[in-house]
Amino acid sequence: MTVTATDAGSPQAPTKGTFARLWGYRDLVKNLVAKDIKVRYMGATLGFAWSLGNPLILFATYFLVFTYIFPSHTPHYALYLITGILHWNLFATNTAQSSEMLVGNAGLMKKLAFPRVFIPLANLLVNVVLWLAAMCVYGLLYPWLGGPWSWALLAYPAYMILYLAFLFGLSLTLAVLYVDFRDLKHIVEVMLMVLFWASPVVYPLKLVPARFLCFYKLNPLTQAIVCFDKLLYSGQMPSLKLTAGFALWTVAALSVGLYLLHRRGPRLIERL
Amino acid sequence: MEYMMTTPAVIVQGVSKTFVLRHNPVASFKGRFIGVFNRRWRQRLEPFQALDDVSFSVNRGEAIGLLGANGSGKSTLLQIIAGIIPPTGGQVQTFGRIAPLIELGVGFHPELTGEENIYLNASLYGFQNREIRPRFTDIVEFSELQDFIDIPVKNYSSGMYMRLGFSIAVHLQPDILLADEILAVGDASFQSKCQQKIAQMQSHGMTLILVSHSMAQVQQFCSRYVRLDHGRVVESGKT
Repeated sequence: MTVTATDAGSPQAPTKGTFARLWGYRDLVKNLVAKDIKVRYMGATLGFAWSLGNPLILFATYFLVFTYIFPSHTPHYALYLITGILHWNLFATNTAQSSEMLVGNAGLMKKLAFPRVFIPLANLLVNVVLWLAAMCVYGLLYPWLGGPWSWALLAYPAYMILYLAFLFGLSLTLAVLYVDFRDLKHIVEVMLMVLFWASPVVYPLKLVPARFLCFYKLNPLTQAIVCFDKLLYSGQMPSLKLTAGFALWTVAALSVGLYLLHRRGPRLIERL
Repeated sequence: MEYMMTTPAVIVQGVSKTFVLRHNPVASFKGRFIGVFNRRWRQRLEPFQALDDVSFSVNRGEAIGLLGANGSGKSTLLQIIAGIIPPTGGQVQTFGRIAPLIELGVGFHPELTGEENIYLNASLYGFQNREIRPRFTDIVEFSELQDFIDIPVKNYSSGMYMRLGFSIAVHLQPDILLADEILAVGDASFQSKCQQKIAQMQSHGMTLILVSHSMAQVQQFCSRYVRLDHGRVVESGKT
C-alpha cells in the first residue's frame, strides 16, 4: 500500500486494486448488518416483529383518517397507501440516519483503516432487511388488497435497485456534508416532514392542481413513488420519460455521494 | 534469514502533516455576530505542523521504536502509516498486511458477546469470518476467557476487555503491527505471555513499529529507535 500526499488533493481514479480491497472487506458488511439488527431489537419481547410495527401503525392511522375524516375516492386506497408508505418509510428512515454515519463512528474511523463507505452501506442494508420483512407481509396481502398481477411486476426489482442506489448516494452526500455543516441534520428532519406531504404518498398525483405540478417534478421522491405506483398499483410500466428522470436523479445522487466521499473522505477523518 | 533484513516493510519518505487548529470554534450565527464585537467569541484558525519532513524505513522482521514526549507527533505518524489519515506532504509505502493497534477493543459492541465481537473486530481489520473460525479457539485460549466468551462484553472487567482485544489483534498474524503504547496488558503473568507472543511473532518475520515514551519499553522489543520532537526526527540509533 502506498499513501501519498496527493491522495488527499487529487485522488487517483479507483483501480482494480481498490475494488479488490473493498471485496476483501465483504464480511465486514455482513457482520455490521447482523450486529445492528441484533442490537436494535435486543431485549424486546416482540423482537424483529417491531420492524413491522412502524409501517403498520402509520398505515392504520392514515387509512382511518382518509377513509372516515377526509374520505379518499381513490379505488383500492389501502393498496395505494401501503405501497406509498412502505417505500417512503425506507427513504425516510435511511435519510434521517445518514447525517450521523461518519460523525457518529468517529472513534472507529480514527483508529482503524477499513473502507469508510461500508458504514453507510451497512446501515442501508439494515434498513433494506427490515423493509423486506414488511414487503413479505405486503406480498401476502397483495392479491387481497386488489393488487393487479401484470408483467410490470417483473420490472419492479430493477426500479428498486435504482431507488436503493439513489438512497445510498444521498446518504453518502449527507454524511460527508454533515461533518462541516451541523445544521444539516435539523434541515433534513424538517425537510422529511415537508417531503412526506409534498410527495404523492397518501394521495395520488392526479389530485394535485396543475399549477403545483412543476414543484412535484423537481422532487425525486415523486418520480420514485409514481414509478412504484405504476408497477404495483396500476400494473403498468412507467413511461420512458419518468424512468429516465428517476435514473437521472439516481446517477446524480450516487456520483455526488461517491465523489464527495472519495475526494473529501480521507481529510474528514482528522476533523471528526 | 538474511533476506528478511534487507526487504523493506515500511518506507516513510519526507512525511509532513499540517493540521488546522480551530481555536474557539464558532458555528452559529449568534456566535459569529457577537464575534464581530467581542474578540473572545472570534474563531481563529492556526496551522499546526504535527510532522515535519520525517523519513525512515523499517525492514521486514525488524522492530523500531518511535520515542518522544506527548504531542511530538508519534501517534499521528502511526495513523498515517496505517492509512487512516493522509499526509500533507511526502509518502509512505508499506508492504504486507498492517494491523494498527491504537486502542484495544476498538469497535467492540458492549451488547454483543465476546464471540460475536471477535468476528466483528476481525472483520474491521479486513478478515473474513471463515479465516477467523480456525483461529477462534486460539484467540479464546490466549485471552483466558473460555468461561466468559458467550456473555456480552459490557459485563467484562476492563482487564478482560483488553485481553480479548489484544488476543484478537495478535492472532490476525499481521505482517506489520503498529502499536501505540500497548504491547502488554493485564496482570504480571498475562503481560509476560503478551511479551512472549510478540517475540514469537517477530521471530516469524513480523515487523513492529512501537510508539512509546519509555525507552525501557522500546529497548525490550526494538533494536532501533527514532526520537521525535515537535514533529521532527531529532535522534535515531540502536537501542
